[in-house]
Amino acid sequence: MTNLLREHAEQAFAHELAELAAVDSRPRPPNWKLSPEAVVTYIMGGRLNNGFEITPKYIGNRRLIEVAVATLATDRALLLLGVPGTAKSWVSEHLAAAISGDSTLLVQGTAGMSEESLRYGWNYARLIAEGPSEQALVPSPIMIAMQTGRLARIEELTRIPADVQDTLISILSEKSLAIPELGREVQAIKGFNIIATANDRDKGVNEMSAALRRRFNTVVLPLPATLEDEVAIVRQRVEALGRALELPAEPPPLDEIRRIVTIFRELRSGQTIDGKTRLKAPGATLSAAEAISVITNGQALAAHFGNGRLSAEDVAAGLIGAVVKDPVHDTVAWKEYLEIVVKARDGWSDLYRACRELTD
Amino acid sequence: MITLLGIRHHGPGSARSVRHALHLTQPDCLLVEGPPEADPLISFTADPAMTPPVALLIYRETQPTQAVFYPFAEFSPEWQALRYAKDAGIPVHFVDLPLRQWFALPTTDETPSSADPFAQIAAAAGYDDPERWWDHVVEQRRDVRDLFLAILELMVALRAEADAHAPPDSLTRAREAAMRTALRRAQREGFTNIAVVCGAWHAPALLDLDNAQADERLIVELSHRARPVSDVRAAWIPWTYDRLARHSGYGAGIDSPGWYEHLWNVEHDIVAHWMTRTAHVLRAEGLNLSPAHVIEATRLSEALAALRGRSLPDLGEIEEAIQAVFCGGNDTPLRLIRKRLIIGQKIGSVPPDAPAPPLQRDIEATLKRLRLTLYLNEPAVLEIDLRKPSGLERSRFLHRLALLGIAWGEAFTPPGAQGTFREIWRLTDWAPEFVVRIIEASRLGNTVEAAAAASAREQALRAGRLPDVIEILGVTLLADLPDALNDVLARVEALASTTGDIAQLMQALPGLIQTARYSNVRKSDVTIVRTLAVEILTRVCVGLPLACMALSDEAAKELFERLVAVHRHIPLLEDEAQTQTWRTTLARLADMPAHGLIQGLATRLLHDEGEGSGTAIRMNRALSPAVAPATAAVWLEGFLSGDALALIHNPHLWRILDDWLISLPEPAFVAQLPILRRAFQRFEPAARRQLGELARNGPIISMREAPMQIDDARAKRALALLRLIEQAEEASGGR
Repeated sequence: MTNLLREHAEQAFAHELAELAAVDSRPRPPNWKLSPEAVVTYIMGGRLNNGFEITPKYIGNRRLIEVAVATLATDRALLLLGVPGTAKSWVSEHLAAAISGDSTLLVQGTAGMSEESLRYGWNYARLIAEGPSEQALVPSPIMIAMQTGRLARIEELTRIPADVQDTLISILSEKSLAIPELGREVQAIKGFNIIATANDRDKGVNEMSAALRRRFNTVVLPLPATLEDEVAIVRQRVEALGRALELPAEPPPLDEIRRIVTIFRELRSGQTIDGKTRLKAPGATLSAAEAISVITNGQALAAHFGNGRLSAEDVAAGLIGAVVKDPVHDTVAWKEYLEIVVKARDGWSDLYRACRELTD
Repeated sequence: MITLLGIRHHGPGSARSVRHALHLTQPDCLLVEGPPEADPLISFTADPAMTPPVALLIYRETQPTQAVFYPFAEFSPEWQALRYAKDAGIPVHFVDLPLRQWFALPTTDETPSSADPFAQIAAAAGYDDPERWWDHVVEQRRDVRDLFLAILELMVALRAEADAHAPPDSLTRAREAAMRTALRRAQREGFTNIAVVCGAWHAPALLDLDNAQADERLIVELSHRARPVSDVRAAWIPWTYDRLARHSGYGAGIDSPGWYEHLWNVEHDIVAHWMTRTAHVLRAEGLNLSPAHVIEATRLSEALAALRGRSLPDLGEIEEAIQAVFCGGNDTPLRLIRKRLIIGQKIGSVPPDAPAPPLQRDIEATLKRLRLTLYLNEPAVLEIDLRKPSGLERSRFLHRLALLGIAWGEAFTPPGAQGTFREIWRLTDWAPEFVVRIIEASRLGNTVEAAAAASAREQALRAGRLPDVIEILGVTLLADLPDALNDVLARVEALASTTGDIAQLMQALPGLIQTARYSNVRKSDVTIVRTLAVEILTRVCVGLPLACMALSDEAAKELFERLVAVHRHIPLLEDEAQTQTWRTTLARLADMPAHGLIQGLATRLLHDEGEGSGTAIRMNRALSPAVAPATAAVWLEGFLSGDALALIHNPHLWRILDDWLISLPEPAFVAQLPILRRAFQRFEPAARRQLGELARNGPIISMREAPMQIDDARAKRALALLRLIEQAEEASGGR
């Protein structure tokens, strides 16, 4: 077991990537570690010819991943859109790991970002001492990716101010980055490409310019289509996280996961799964990612303060914290849900009691 | 030599291969799977006025609802085969079980074998949709040599397996026997190089032609089981891509006629052409798409196809590329693409001299004259100005179609627009059912006018209730059918004189009065209708008092509504004598021992008419202490017509009630309180509160009573303006 808190995809799944590369006989685009087919297999999971089992990284529509991989294979930049928690960053990390063997060339988009983060910066001590020189240059992850023919990732592209975003236009169309201070440019070598993620529903987004948008193929990652899909996602991630955090608790019972996912889906859609009752929808996003954190949180509680088995008391606090983000409006929605749905549902009385204790 | 060309219906690849194969083999006789009854219609395929999509309609003349459609598109292999035969000048026949036998079979005779052979092969080849498999392996194949031999070989193997599993049902057996018989006939006639175009599934059954007796026996047996019908007719009708698409539910439909047409028309760079067309459509909708987008979308779809191990992208890849590159991941524009391009909006046409029922020809001629088209892709709204002769004619035509049961248009009168010069119609998109209805209506007459008149007569005779006949009368007038009008009127009179049911008469009256009043807009002669209305009104006035005796509460409530409706329509007659008769009748109702609700209402209606003198007396009488409180309350309810506003805003009414209350001695007043309470408890709380305030601040009434001071000079100025407005209205053609 490694000592790292969180391993990169290419570290955590190094074995799978190696097995895939060994059996992958299809043509690979220049500087790709795997063929496009093998990349899709890596993301979607499957059994290799030699019997090796690849775990699914993304649970959902295979065609979406195929479009994403084909986009990268045609040298077009890829934009993954979706509401929070639809596995955008997760998919982007795994794509980079599988294609370039490296998911670390990452720029995190923020509102205060400047052009240096996308182009290059300077080591000012050297700049002053020696003047502009190769040694004084601090390349951005994007520049490194161009030089080495790898994939660069930009998280939350639409948080970046619009004028800074537009720096990408020349990088994506000319595939080169000029360094006027040194009188030269960096030309991207084959294999370079960009995966950006953006969240189109969040407040405070900077709309992309039409010119930049045109350089991206867009893939919208939807919320999990079915209850079973979502349960599978949460279970798989919770187990992986539990291992990484070395939580001594038993693996969480499937029933408990299904219960949390059901609550999240019902509150998100504003009606019960059977469609019979309309509900107030709280303002929180209630994504699969949050369900995952509710469960791991509960597991930690169970491990350290309980009997090691995940129970309703352990998840209740995390659950309420996830649902009630706005103390006024969300509390009403939650209390209504508790009294109308949770109280009446068979076998949910333990959860109801645990939540009531915390809600009042 | 016999060449078997096994095809998939409406497959562009099949069509191309068929054309190619026919050019190679140069047959001297061509047989095509299809209804033999339509043989005489084949010659029309060469007519330049014939443009697919069209359909063969085979129907029974006496029972047109029993009908079958055989749609053809430009890219249907059968259509290409027919066109080839006409161009090459060789004999061509439809071969299949004649529909006169098919129609005779009971519909639930045997469920047809439903196993889809292509589903099995497609599954074996790793496709979940057999259509996609066929698309890839056959339709998109550009090299057609030996294709049909390979298909035949495949089908032989599949049929052998399927037949061993479950033998074909009797209908399939009979159909194939009929095809074989036709093949033998062609051989006997001396043709040596025969080509057969039929569904791939049937091809193996046509290989062995030895056992002629068995086939004959099979068909004779079928004829014994169900006697062939004798009234089968065939016609060409226009068809649409939308109908060709599977979701419309007619037979062997396909998902994507527009895409298939594209595959048929475009030989090279199929995807690039398609992407460009898509970009054009989306640009027209305001999306900014450059040629660079088209290039990227084409590349992405090709990369996707390569990723999935296919030589060419199909619709799935193309749609995904369009979504990712053109639409920024959004899937709403795809719906537009699906409707406009993938399904397509093409509508076919049929030469005017092709056989069709005369009624249909008349409808088509009328449509052309009125510059209307029945073949709409989408529902539309038609606004008609009845002052223009063409507008009037359009309106008549649409009303006539409605009488024939062809539900193409639905008249829609905006509230309050009655009697105006505007008529609004909602037109639905074209449906093949229209053709069936036209054929059905053909028995009624050869022109729209004659058929509609006959239909009106027939419906009037069939209708047993007066209000229904009045409705038909209304439509007959709107449709301007003077021939039918007299018969419908006679029917109205007959029913009106024989019916003892006053309620029915009353129900019919408003409609009749409206018709009499507003049909003038259409310049039709409605004096007879007016006469009839007056006659019915007389009957009502005579019968009403008797009908109001001994009513149950339910019946009284019903009559109450009718009375109000009739009362509202009386002024429209603009006939003082009739109005007077009606008032007299109301007075009788008010003074006779009718049901309290009716009595109260009659009193109130009279009061509103200005005959207020009797109101106070009638109220005192109805609310006297001797009357049972419950009855009195009902009277009050009728008087107030369930409407508190009248009391609040009509001080006169208020005062009558108030005066009566004040006049009561104290013990009587106390006794009346429950009645008042009951009559008032139906009102909204807010209205009750207002009434209470009114009772407290009575003086409002006297203020209203103050004589009005009119400033003559100012009034004159207003009058001048009013006159001006009136003149302007007259000049613009107001009624």
